[in-house]
Amino acid sequence: MALRIPSPRFAAILALSTAAILLAGCADTRTAGSDPAAVGAPITGGTAVYLEQQTYTNLYPPAAGFYPNGGIMNQIADRLVYQDPETLELEPWIATEWKTNETATEYTFTLRSDVTFSDGTPLDAAAVAKNFDLYGRGDADRALTVSEAINNYDHSEVVDASTVKFFFSKPSPGFVQATSTITSGLLSPKTLDLTLEGFGAGNGEDIIGSGPFTITGEKIGTELTLAAREDYAWGPPSVEHQGRAYLDGIQIIVTPEDSVRVGSLLSGQADLIRAVEAQDEKQVEAAGFEVYAPQTNGVNNSLNLRFRHGILSDIRVRQALLAGINRQEVIDTIYTANYPLATSTLSKTALGYVDESATLVYDTAKAEKLLDEAGWTRTGDGIRTKNGQKLTLVVNEAAPQPRSFEALTLISQQLAKIGVDLQILKADAGTYAEAIQDADRVQIYHSIVGRADYDVIKSQYYSTNRNVLLNRNPQDNSIGDPKLETLLEAVASKVTPAERAAADKEVQDYLAAQAYVIPLFEEPQVYSAAGYVQGFGFESVARPSFYNVWLNK
Amino acid sequence: MTSPLIERTDAAATAGARLRRVQPTLVLAILVLVVVLAWAVAPGFFTPVDPVQGDAAAALQAPSFRHLFGTDATGRDMFSRTVYGAIHSLSGAIIAVTVGLVLGTLIGVLAGSIGGVADDILMRLVDVLLAIPALLLALSIIILLGFGTTNAAFAVGITSVAAFARLVRSEVVRVRHSDYVEAAFGSGGRYLAVLVRHVLPNSLTPVIAYAALHFGTAILAISTLGFLGYGAPPPTPEWGLMIAEGRNYVATSWWLTTLPGLVVVLVVVSANRLSAALASRR
Repeated sequence: MALRIPSPRFAAILALSTAAILLAGCADTRTAGSDPAAVGAPITGGTAVYLEQQTYTNLYPPAAGFYPNGGIMNQIADRLVYQDPETLELEPWIATEWKTNETATEYTFTLRSDVTFSDGTPLDAAAVAKNFDLYGRGDADRALTVSEAINNYDHSEVVDASTVKFFFSKPSPGFVQATSTITSGLLSPKTLDLTLEGFGAGNGEDIIGSGPFTITGEKIGTELTLAAREDYAWGPPSVEHQGRAYLDGIQIIVTPEDSVRVGSLLSGQADLIRAVEAQDEKQVEAAGFEVYAPQTNGVNNSLNLRFRHGILSDIRVRQALLAGINRQEVIDTIYTANYPLATSTLSKTALGYVDESATLVYDTAKAEKLLDEAGWTRTGDGIRTKNGQKLTLVVNEAAPQPRSFEALTLISQQLAKIGVDLQILKADAGTYAEAIQDADRVQIYHSIVGRADYDVIKSQYYSTNRNVLLNRNPQDNSIGDPKLETLLEAVASKVTPAERAAADKEVQDYLAAQAYVIPLFEEPQVYSAAGYVQGFGFESVARPSFYNVWLNK
Repeated sequence: MTSPLIERTDAAATAGARLRRVQPTLVLAILVLVVVLAWAVAPGFFTPVDPVQGDAAAALQAPSFRHLFGTDATGRDMFSRTVYGAIHSLSGAIIAVTVGLVLGTLIGVLAGSIGGVADDILMRLVDVLLAIPALLLALSIIILLGFGTTNAAFAVGITSVAAFARLVRSEVVRVRHSDYVEAAFGSGGRYLAVLVRHVLPNSLTPVIAYAALHFGTAILAISTLGFLGYGAPPPTPEWGLMIAEGRNYVATSWWLTTLPGLVVVLVVVSANRLSAALASRR
């Protein structure tokens, strides 16, 4: 900026207005957060500084389940269908309407005709077809996987410029919801030609969507800059705000240290942060900042017992672990009221949830009895043994999950009381990725998955999806429990919501009866924002949405 | 440089003076080391509380008479963890110093006494070792050996071999050409006998001082590796690991990192003070 010497009169006005702004700023900080109703009309402009806990890894939409990826994808890509985060109803977005046949094997979508990608290409039926041909079938040559939300996809057909049909080999009742998820973000046909590496970190600016923001700058691993699209005019019709985003841009800065993120927010260096850990919530609230804790509405934060491993193949050992963990104590000690105790594999707010709390009872006497019966004996307070083998199990630290390490440490202390030695695997990314695929190295897998559809339970446990129980042995592809497979397949192939809910119930009942899963709590994503940040929202599994955000300052 | 003879008289005089004049910092340093050594040998004598089993009802409590160093997120007593952690840090440091001292002395004595091409080759190897940043070298060695306190200690030891070798070689070269060694050779002493009886003992004084100094550095290096997650696996109460575990609580529960951190600082400074005292006795 060029420096000019101001005239005395100009200087006086400048001084006065600066004083006014400063005074207004003071007034603002005093009222911020305390009276959110007293805000005026949204203001357009400004850049929001958003601190992420982890760097994004890839912007291939089916890989957007990872929160740092999804947090970006949700700003740059639109979807065919909009899922209301409150009611979980499916509403029009890029598709104005859709219909399906009775067996849920054919879907027809009618599209808006005015939508363009940020590189200027139109978002028409051909582009949509190309998107779902890739997400539904994957491309092994380019290492691009099939989206876990889309089941039984066969092919697409472009009827005309604004009508596209999808065909499925078997019923695929979850497809409409699947088109609303972050993993079905619509990208420009040119972007879809990239390889997995091309979608990877460092190439953010190559990822072209039709969303309210575009990626304009990137410092690999540390920073990403998004800018609003001036000509954006196709927000979901049910959202009050239409037209371009209020913000001019978003600066996403990766800040892994929890205390640094919170400190930056409190000192005004950041406007919004993701992953406020439980121990910091009180501090942030006390300083007058808003804490948001949207639920992830899917499979709960759980310990998955890999029942094909020698020790855990005995149901009595699995039941003993379940009875030996005081889940309430974990919640009370490590977490806050934003983390409700789990009552089933699925979250209370998930579609298809049934209450299984009767099977989730803490009872150390029962746990000790079960282990005695299973032949695991102990002398005094030591670790139990059987035929010279120690009752030692390894659980992974789920680094993306909130306070995983502390929770596991406490659980390991609880299990020590019943004579079980629980060790926590804390390793670098490479070692970790290898170890979690091997039941000999990690017997208990700590994880969650969020998706607001009946299918979510299949995503987590099915052999060719996440396979967290290692029901399919990655070495020889054998299946340990065919019944679980059948039950999960039913979830993804039943047609009516009532049938799908019934199928979900069967799976939850079975997982509880077999004690395959120890659900801990219903996981929220906890965000915090300064009081002047208005309109901060989330999609149905708690990924941030900046479309409505504006800065009241 | 003064001649060896005069130097020795000087040293004797100051040593006598030192005995009469008590040095409070040295006494304090020795006291700290003795206490920490006692922690390592008999931790149960200093604290009755289990370092691994916590009381969840008493999580994240500030330091008090009951919990001298406060408690962590799962209610474990931090003082107890610090006391029980001493054995890991001290044994690690002893392993590291031993590895560095033994291998370094071997290389240094060989290079210094044989001389010629062998000296050149060994010293260039040492140059290469010195060129690699210590932490990077230690990390690479741990990746090869696997995680754990012993492996971390061994890795830290390897990184110090070069420095020990340099020091020993320079001393050996100095002593090798002194009159009494030449005389020993002249009177028919065999090579190995002269080396062990005359060269080695007279080269080791500065090396011992350096070993004491390195003891402190090794504790710091092992804690660093523990902090980065390459040392003892949790829930072992290892000092570096404890500091790492507490770093997300710096703003709300300062005692988790600060107090174990202060203990590390005290021990390292004490080891340095002792090393300075040993060095000045030359």
